[in-house]
Amino acid sequence: MPLLRMENITRHYETPAGVVRALDGVSFEIEEGERVVLLGPSGSGKTTLLNCLSALDSPSGGSYSFLGSEVPRNHSEKMTSFRRENIGYVFQFFNLLQDLTVLENILLIQELSGKKNASRAKELLELVGLELEVNRFPGEISGGQQQRVAIARSIAKRPKLLLGDELTGNLDTETSNKVMEALVKACRQENITSVFVTHDEGLTRFASRVIRIDSGKIVSDEKIPESIEQ
Amino acid sequence: MSILLNKRLARSLWRTKLRLLAVVMMVSVGIFAGITFSGYSHNLDGMYEALQADDDEGSNLADLWIDNRSNSWTQDEINNFCDNLESSWPVDLPGIDSCEGRKIMQGTMFHHEGGRTRIINSLWHGIPDDANADRIWMPKGHSEGRVASGDDEIVIDAHVVEALNISLGDIVEIGAGSDSAEFEVVGIGYHPLHVFMAPEGSLFPPEPGQYVVGYLSDSGMARLTNTSLGSGNTILLDVTGTPSFDFPDTKIYEGGEIDVVKDLVSSALESTELEGRVRDRGQNEPVEIMRQDLEGAKRTSIPFALMIAAIASITIVLSLQRLVQSQEKEIAALRTLGVSRRSLMTGYLIAPLAIGTVGCGLGAIIGPWGVNGMLDFYEGIVGLPIIEREIPFSLIARIIIPTMIVVFLSGTFPAWKASRLDPLSVLGGQNQIRVGSNTLRRLTSWMPTTLGLSIRSSVRKPVRLMMTFLAVGISLMLFGSVQMMSAGLENTIVGGIEERQSWDAQVYIGKDGEAKVIAWAEERGAPYEQLIELPLGSVEDHEGIERVFTVVGLESYDGGLRGVNIVQGDRPDLSDGTLEVMLDEGSMALLGWSLGESHSIMLNGAEQEVVIVGVTRGELARTMYFMRADLAGVMGINATSVYLQLPDGIEVDPTLAEISIGVVERKTLIDGMNSLIDQQTQIFTAMMYLGLIFTIAVMFNTMIMNVAERDFELATLRVLGGSTASLGIMLLFESLLIGFVGGIVGVAFAYGGAVGLAASFSSWQFYVTILIVPSVAYQLMAGVVVIAIGMTPIGIWRLRRMDLVDKVKNLTQ
Repeated sequence: MPLLRMENITRHYETPAGVVRALDGVSFEIEEGERVVLLGPSGSGKTTLLNCLSALDSPSGGSYSFLGSEVPRNHSEKMTSFRRENIGYVFQFFNLLQDLTVLENILLIQELSGKKNASRAKELLELVGLELEVNRFPGEISGGQQQRVAIARSIAKRPKLLLGDELTGNLDTETSNKVMEALVKACRQENITSVFVTHDEGLTRFASRVIRIDSGKIVSDEKIPESIEQ
Repeated sequence: MSILLNKRLARSLWRTKLRLLAVVMMVSVGIFAGITFSGYSHNLDGMYEALQADDDEGSNLADLWIDNRSNSWTQDEINNFCDNLESSWPVDLPGIDSCEGRKIMQGTMFHHEGGRTRIINSLWHGIPDDANADRIWMPKGHSEGRVASGDDEIVIDAHVVEALNISLGDIVEIGAGSDSAEFEVVGIGYHPLHVFMAPEGSLFPPEPGQYVVGYLSDSGMARLTNTSLGSGNTILLDVTGTPSFDFPDTKIYEGGEIDVVKDLVSSALESTELEGRVRDRGQNEPVEIMRQDLEGAKRTSIPFALMIAAIASITIVLSLQRLVQSQEKEIAALRTLGVSRRSLMTGYLIAPLAIGTVGCGLGAIIGPWGVNGMLDFYEGIVGLPIIEREIPFSLIARIIIPTMIVVFLSGTFPAWKASRLDPLSVLGGQNQIRVGSNTLRRLTSWMPTTLGLSIRSSVRKPVRLMMTFLAVGISLMLFGSVQMMSAGLENTIVGGIEERQSWDAQVYIGKDGEAKVIAWAEERGAPYEQLIELPLGSVEDHEGIERVFTVVGLESYDGGLRGVNIVQGDRPDLSDGTLEVMLDEGSMALLGWSLGESHSIMLNGAEQEVVIVGVTRGELARTMYFMRADLAGVMGINATSVYLQLPDGIEVDPTLAEISIGVVERKTLIDGMNSLIDQQTQIFTAMMYLGLIFTIAVMFNTMIMNVAERDFELATLRVLGGSTASLGIMLLFESLLIGFVGGIVGVAFAYGGAVGLAASFSSWQFYVTILIVPSVAYQLMAGVVVIAIGMTPIGIWRLRRMDLVDKVKNLTQ
């Protein structure tokens, strides 16, 4: 059974200029352990697709199942609950809580999902190479380090699917590579499936599969035989 | 100034309509309250002027009262005194308008109703037809009938006619001492000495119908008291114009002009061998109490308006600052595009002016409604008509101008902040980076992370938090100080009479009249206690101003019928030399005296040395306590009244009324006190509830801003799977924290406000001790905590309707 399956997913928006078809009949499956990169130009619908995958947004039509169960839609609390149980999310601007230390940022997410475990939080920081920064505040570490904290935070509750939207868009190439390496390592060790939206063709080398999207439709879907881990 | 920039700001403000409306409403309520209080005091001032005026419509309030409570002067004695005074009157002083004798007698009314006769404590004036000073006030449309001229006619004070169901043509039976007679009611009117309907020596008007004042003709008084026509116990002196007299509630001495008159009067009294107490308007309690009430209203109107304006200003500062913060990127972009600091500042300075103008306009429109409401309310509780009502433009301007200044100033800080934003730092995101506090981390590291985050988030903006607490404090000052003062008054004064005093009736007697009352009591097995209680003590304060106080002589301060709350020192003992006395704490504070000191005072005109052995609490009026035997020796009077403790089944009856000159029941006194405190509280009730509404508005504003400012954090947590419930608990912690600290600050402000309010009311006539009544403090704290907790659902509601897709777009782009 695939981790998730989308069949003929549509997402239409009513605007004064008419109906915008952000997603127009998208269908695909993702297997456990895959690292998928979603590529596409601005306005192609990749962020909308990511939002639907994370249950932040509800599709207008089509079917979306996760581990064989239909993903809730149009119900804020059920969608939140789905995210809490299954989804990790990494943002472009890290979005760490500035009043909490690096370690506390991870503990908070564990606490909110009822899985508080300080030793695991420290292990994850070690995994992303930040074991020396646990008691520092986000404002005291670099952007790349913050993004690695964000990755550790997003996998702290052992999500089944990790999503990221332009997660290296705010970093230079060298730092981007370090972050992606940390991410791949963490996903592999934790057996987490991941989907990332990006403009950066260079990041495809960290993917096991690349889906290209344009005008709300999938235009290509290819497996990458040789990714960095291999 | 760019119109487009200002338009942009106006639209941004419009997006926060609810907050904008709240601020506009706060300003308008401030103006409304200011106009209401100022208009009220202005019209009250006009009413007193009309009442006291020396014209056909007014009552011509006298300038000096010379009285003697133990003797009556003959008409010849009074004429001699007036002639002597006139002959010694210097030509350079304004002339004597009138010098006339009056008889004013304490007495009773035998009120027959439903087959029962009620004995009501009363006061009767004998006023000649041709009286010039202290006439009955009969305003057209607000009074009935005419003044009494026949010897069987009476005018009843309008304050009591409704409660006693008295109308023109009724026959009333009244008494004064052992004499009683029937009179026909020919008029219903008012008197300048009885605006405040309380018996002499009491600051508490009894419930309506429990105290009656009536105005007979001089011949009527002669018939009632069985004395010769023209005899009197009071001489009224009216001088052309109004000589300045001292206001006891001010620090400076204003009584220079009346002192010249008083010296002449003293010489005339000496020359004619008359003895009497001389009082000017400032020393005549019923007149002075109402003047101070009016002054209090005048004094409180602008501070109230400014306090409300301050709350509005703090809200404006916080809201505009939040607006600047949310527009940082726009402002930075505009600055990058070359928009000058001045252009940016202008809009943020215009915004509070626009808010202030709308708020002031609305407040000015609804202000007259408040003034009329307040005046109607005054008419209802004081029972005096306010015939002419007006709100001059200058009064409105006096409220609006300082309010607009305060409101305008509130825009300067956010405007300055907006103009000082560094585009590079904002656009580069550096201003978003901040390092948390390690001290806070250490303090909260042991807590669950959610709780720690709540605390750290709450104190993240300490200036804003302090300003919020300041606004909550001011709001609670409005709400809590009146409550605290009322509770303190009830606790010290009413509580003292309820708990420490066990008499049921106080029977006032004429000279040597105690034996009959004691016999009445012994026949019925009623415990009794004689006492002396006279407003005949005086002392010069450190500024040389003569201060008058009541002297009380009791049989015992240990197990007697009137207990006293001794807060310092001990009860007095009988003494041979220097008399041992206790003095109320208000007198001690105002005179600057200390326990154990000896002082020279005047008792009924004679100098007397006393030593202060105790300090008492619970008296509104200034009081010195003696052992009765000591005081009797000095005053030459055995008792002025007798306390009775009435056994079951024994009531005050007509026999007792006939052998006394008045009876006051303790229950009536307590009811009157409670009623007065309730009335005073009611006057401020509107302010109290405004304070409560402002507390809610300020807390609401803070919570909304906290949540709005943390959209970023909360959206992140929501995207990462934080449930509404868990985030709601975080908000609840935050609310509890703000509520708890806000509650403590609120209680402190309310206490400060109560002390300030008490100080503004306190004078030689009144002295209010403010004690923190724990139940009131707890109520205030609980109120703020409940308001804070009540705001949590709003935060949760905002969380629920948060568009996560939109937020994520902001978070990732």
